[in-house]
Amino acid sequence: MRASPPAGPAGPVSVPGAVIEAAALTKVYPGGVTALAGLTVAFPPGVTGLIGANGAGKSTLIKVLLGLLEPTQGMAKVLGYDCVKDGMRIRQLVGYMPEHDCLPADITATEFVTHMGRMSGLPATAARERAAEALRHVGLHEERYRQIGTYSTGMKQRVKLAQALVGDPRLLLLDEPTNGLDPAGRNAMLELIERIGAEFGIPIVVASHLLGEIERICDSLVAIEAGKLLRADTMDSFTRASQTLLIEVEEGADALRQELARRGLHARPYQRALLVPIAGEDTYDAVRDAVAALGVPLSRLEQRRHQVEEIFRDEDNTGQPSQLEAADAY
Amino acid sequence: MPTESISAQTSGAGRPSAAGGVIHDLGYQRYDGPRLGRSQIVAALAWHSFRSAFGFGRGARAKIVPVIALIAICLPAIINAFAMSKGQARIVDYDTYTPVLRDLIMTVFVAVQAPELVSRDLRNRVLPLYFSRPIKPGDYPLAKYLGFTAACLVMLEVPLLLLYAGSVVNVHGGSAVWAQTRALIPGLLLGVMWAVSLAAISLFLASLNGRRGLATGAVAIVLLLSYTLAEILLQVETQSAIDGPTVPGAPPPVSIGQKVAGLFSPYTLFDGVRRWLGGTNLGDNVPKVGAFGAVYALVLIVIVGLCLYGLAARYRKARLS
Repeated sequence: MRASPPAGPAGPVSVPGAVIEAAALTKVYPGGVTALAGLTVAFPPGVTGLIGANGAGKSTLIKVLLGLLEPTQGMAKVLGYDCVKDGMRIRQLVGYMPEHDCLPADITATEFVTHMGRMSGLPATAARERAAEALRHVGLHEERYRQIGTYSTGMKQRVKLAQALVGDPRLLLLDEPTNGLDPAGRNAMLELIERIGAEFGIPIVVASHLLGEIERICDSLVAIEAGKLLRADTMDSFTRASQTLLIEVEEGADALRQELARRGLHARPYQRALLVPIAGEDTYDAVRDAVAALGVPLSRLEQRRHQVEEIFRDEDNTGQPSQLEAADAY
Repeated sequence: MPTESISAQTSGAGRPSAAGGVIHDLGYQRYDGPRLGRSQIVAALAWHSFRSAFGFGRGARAKIVPVIALIAICLPAIINAFAMSKGQARIVDYDTYTPVLRDLIMTVFVAVQAPELVSRDLRNRVLPLYFSRPIKPGDYPLAKYLGFTAACLVMLEVPLLLLYAGSVVNVHGGSAVWAQTRALIPGLLLGVMWAVSLAAISLFLASLNGRRGLATGAVAIVLLLSYTLAEILLQVETQSAIDGPTVPGAPPPVSIGQKVAGLFSPYTLFDGVRRWLGGTNLGDNVPKVGAFGAVYALVLIVIVGLCLYGLAARYRKARLS
């Protein structure tokens, strides 16, 4: 990410400390559907959001990363292991939480997570101990002796997370972890993920089609669209680049916009106001001067906390609303 | 971490989460111990499947059918042992055991338990969790097959061993014991044939359907219908053989129609192979097959092979959703 240019030429990537690397990764399904089209990206440690609308190629990317699907072209590495050759090793090191329901109803969470620990390669005793611990970490206690069928959606999501965590993964791949949760449940799940990333020191990739939801827990973001990289960067640089000034005037917004353009500022309408990217101190001066010159009644001037989704909108110069926005418009 | 861990350990009061649970933080422990290899994971899954075939690790309800089936299939051996202690001769045979009863109980057992092993995972979409683990997609059906074959073996061989134990304590002299042992061994080997075949057929049929009831129905219908069909054909062909030209004083010759009729069901196939291999006791009314028995064996091998191929094909594509 830090080192991978968003639209750079597809070459071998070499990012120190990257947990996932892909270079010119392409997957064309037998039917001719291109799910990944030359994706070159590197995921740094920490919590990384993998953002893309449904059909953007997230699921295909996850399958390739887990070594379950061979790419048509290009290469991908997880924790330094080649996804084609070392799939088995990767699956030993990666904890995966699927998007859909994947839990049997008629067995207890303890037994299920223990079994999944065994399947991760833990000996029987270790599987039992780690299952109890994983369930504790996700906040399930006495309930863990109850059959999973009696659980709420939030509790089931936690069991799904626990089964990904039980094998002591060196990387967690979470596919839409907040799926089906109410706002409170979502917050709790996101908090949990943030904690696992920060306190347990496990790198996490959170795939989601809802950028606004996961951006607050991510250290970095990778956005893909139509199997290509849209943008990848750290949250820091996203927010640095995303400082904007919101200008609301009682009247004469169009005139102000033209005046700002004359002064070299690209303002775009946002509801009844205008948004101007902040380039530096000069921007404030230019806005002040423009307002003063026109004598328009200024009612609000506000430095905005920028939502990352707006950046994608800004950068989308095709004029077409991207799928990402469409999915994210809420 | 330290402050939270102290409060959590001492008071048990964690911070209440929005979903109603409570999050305690005793710190995260890394695991640096040994890890099982692929074959050991497959063995663990096979063992898990074996246990689930008898309802272990599930609620009490899951144990009802397998336990009743196991008791029912053992009853003839127990009754026989009791009768022998009263001076009766052994009335149940090792190679056929109790033909119709065993067919019926095994049909119920595999029809109910094969879906338990494979349909539940399909229905609950647990497979992505297996595929994301350090095994290959083909390992999953392999482990299920090994586990279920072992479960079928328990159903088939335990009664024989009980029968043997009951017989041995009631006969006297080394030669009598040896005779029992010699009779037991073919029975055990035939049990292996039954287990290997029934597990393949029932798991394949069950894996086609995630709805457990439907999967059970599919297995039961295929096994029962095929058996009924084979029996009807046998009756028809036997009747026409009797009605046909016969050598006076000799039993009616076994027609090719009668022999072919036995090819239509697993149970008559088992019996045909048994008689081909030298079994003399009457089983599922399969006539003396003679050299045609090789066809029985061949058909059985092809059916089992196709079922195993189908089962493997069902899981070849690792789907994550």
